[in-house]
Amino acid sequence: MKLFRQLVNWIDVRIGVGELVEKELTGYLLPRNINAWYSLGSILLTAFAIQVVTGILLLVYYVPDADKAFASVTAIMNNVPFGWLVRLLHAVGSNMMVLALLLHMLSVLWMGSYKRPRELNWLSGFILFNLVTGACLTGYLLPWSQLSFWATTVATNSVGAIPVVGGHLVEFLRGGKLVGAPTLGRFFALHVAVIPLIIGALVGAHLFLLQRIGVSSPPFGLDDTTNRWQGDVFRYESHPGGIPFVPNYLLQDLTSIFVYLACFLAVVFFDPYLFFPKEAFSPANPYLTPAHIKPEWYFLPNYQTLKIFPSELLGLAVQGVAMTLLALLPFLDRGGERHPLKRPLFRIGYVGGILLWLGLMVWGHYS
Amino acid sequence: MNGKGFFGCLAALLIAMALLFTPVAVLAAGGTQIVCITCHGTLTGKFGEPVKLWQGSVHAENGIACNGCHGGDPADAANAMSPARGFLGAPKETAIPAFCGRCHVGVEKEYRASAHGRALGRGGPTCVTCHGNHRVVKASLELINEKSCSRCHGFERARLIREAMAETEGQMAAIDGRIALFRGRGVDTDRLEKGLFALRNSYRALFHNVDVELVRKESTRIQGELKVLERVLQGVDETERKRKLAGVAAVAGALLAALLFHLLKKSYD
Amino acid sequence: MDNAGRRKFLVTLLAGGGAAAAAAAAWPLYRYLAPAGGGSAAAVVVIPENEVNEGQAKFFQYAGSAAVLVRKRGGELIALSAVCTHLGCIVQWVNEKQEFLCPCHAGLYSAEGAVLSGPPPKPLAPIPFKVAGGTIRVGEVA
Repeated sequence: MKLFRQLVNWIDVRIGVGELVEKELTGYLLPRNINAWYSLGSILLTAFAIQVVTGILLLVYYVPDADKAFASVTAIMNNVPFGWLVRLLHAVGSNMMVLALLLHMLSVLWMGSYKRPRELNWLSGFILFNLVTGACLTGYLLPWSQLSFWATTVATNSVGAIPVVGGHLVEFLRGGKLVGAPTLGRFFALHVAVIPLIIGALVGAHLFLLQRIGVSSPPFGLDDTTNRWQGDVFRYESHPGGIPFVPNYLLQDLTSIFVYLACFLAVVFFDPYLFFPKEAFSPANPYLTPAHIKPEWYFLPNYQTLKIFPSELLGLAVQGVAMTLLALLPFLDRGGERHPLKRPLFRIGYVGGILLWLGLMVWGHYS
Repeated sequence: MNGKGFFGCLAALLIAMALLFTPVAVLAAGGTQIVCITCHGTLTGKFGEPVKLWQGSVHAENGIACNGCHGGDPADAANAMSPARGFLGAPKETAIPAFCGRCHVGVEKEYRASAHGRALGRGGPTCVTCHGNHRVVKASLELINEKSCSRCHGFERARLIREAMAETEGQMAAIDGRIALFRGRGVDTDRLEKGLFALRNSYRALFHNVDVELVRKESTRIQGELKVLERVLQGVDETERKRKLAGVAAVAGALLAALLFHLLKKSYD
Repeated sequence: MDNAGRRKFLVTLLAGGGAAAAAAAAWPLYRYLAPAGGGSAAAVVVIPENEVNEGQAKFFQYAGSAAVLVRKRGGELIALSAVCTHLGCIVQWVNEKQEFLCPCHAGLYSAEGAVLSGPPPKPLAPIPFKVAGGTIRVGEVA
């Protein structure tokens, strides 16, 4: 113990660990009324770390070759000791991560934390959400099952609705006229290298922005909930008299992370088939379209939106507009009030949006 | 709330339409074109009927098309029915067992040795008498029924055979169901499926001998082999049970950790 | 003071739980990455050489599945899986033709296991064997 303290001291006098800890951890104060929803970011970091670790482990046995991919995944699930666990953690983990991401975005929306000066936090987070769904989409193809093959066929096909360049774009995405071995090659590269690297970099940017601007205060339990940012010069939003990040909020983060892990493991061990229709376990057959092929749950609203509009282009355009508006929300919504109960129109849009999204999902599932 | 807030609400409303990159469209039609069907499918009466019948057959289910039995060239409309391309047309009644037996060799052998086969050409049944023509149905216990058998003879003997087979067939159906369930969960059932397929085939080929004693004797042997498959399935069950137990421990551990961290946090409040 | 004692207790519990969780996670990780065991030694089937006559085939169980040994006319020995690569039926040896025939859908293989006709997608899988001292040891690499 004495030796350990000496070692810490030896390092401390050289690089000033104590000062760093004091400034960034124990002395890093958070608003007094901070709530558990703020720990969703830490949950997402954990979820991403699990995806990276299990993904690397899967790379040990996965073979990215259209003739061998399905067999290699079957072998991971059946022959490699604990391969089933690694694979299920990765596949179920992606679904759970999307769920946590949606909750993170919804809580940020509800508490008005996206408002200025945090436009860049929102934008980087929004891009991260798209990248994560992109990682899900590209990862979906890799097991080369019937589900992989046809879900990818359907997803890439709709890009063809874009005027003029659509047809060429579909071919470029697929690396050929139809989904095939070349598609697997490019999706594999995107899934294991390109997208994770960009996600990692953007997560860094997201955290950097958080660190520079400071944590927002929740609008609850305060008398004045208007946005007090002036926009004249850079000011770090400090919270004097707040609660320290270490140990107080770190322990909240850990509590939340373990609640998340408990839910996640419950799905992995007791009903992973929630996310696996039986087509996920038959090999891809380019000559046999399975009946009722559906995208993953979080893509169902998009799928249904495309179906209800008379032309695919219109359906695509509506989604493009919706996504753009959502991405630019903090630039458009410049009102000063942050408390949701004092923003009736916002509340209608918020609840209505969620209901519409869920409704389209259910409709898409049963249609 | 100021006017610009409206855009925020609108955008929030449109959250439902999230995601630009994943729209979905019509499925491409799979499969290759067979000219026989292109042509005969549009015909009526006896020239068009086989296509409709075939569509409901076990052959269609497994991708065996017209040319599988009748030969010819399914890719060349002009010469599709040219004998030079191996086109055979419809066999005469006495040639039916040989026609089907080109693929179903085991069944043909047993059939020829049976009372059915020995009566070929003298009023005895051929393959299509029971299995149907074009709408060829898979062998099943239901095929042995009073209505069908009593077209030629009494049902008593057939009933005995059916009863002798019922238990084994039921056992095979149960194993089949369990294999399908496991396959739907990602268990590698390839070897089990092939094992069951082989057993079922040898069992059903044997039936064509229509010899009650032989069927009874072979039922015992096949049931023994089915037990081996059942033991493998039980092994899978056991593995799943163990995994669930591990799951209970993992989930409980995570919940406990969450509780402890929560208590620790409270001690700092 | 009460708080400090409680904290110490909780931290001890969490440290113990953490160590247990780390050990529980390390074992699957080790097993996942550990090289797959060979286990070929246990699977060897020994058959006396005089049980396989010239031009004839002998069927037996090997590694939980059906296998066959053939002595071709001329004396050459061949060991193959007897499971048809089409749908898994057990092939039969046709003595007159010196070929394998699958009774289910007429898949035909040569004595070496190559597909001659019919639906099988792949040849019959060869099995390694060694002949020594009047016995054939199937499953051992010569």
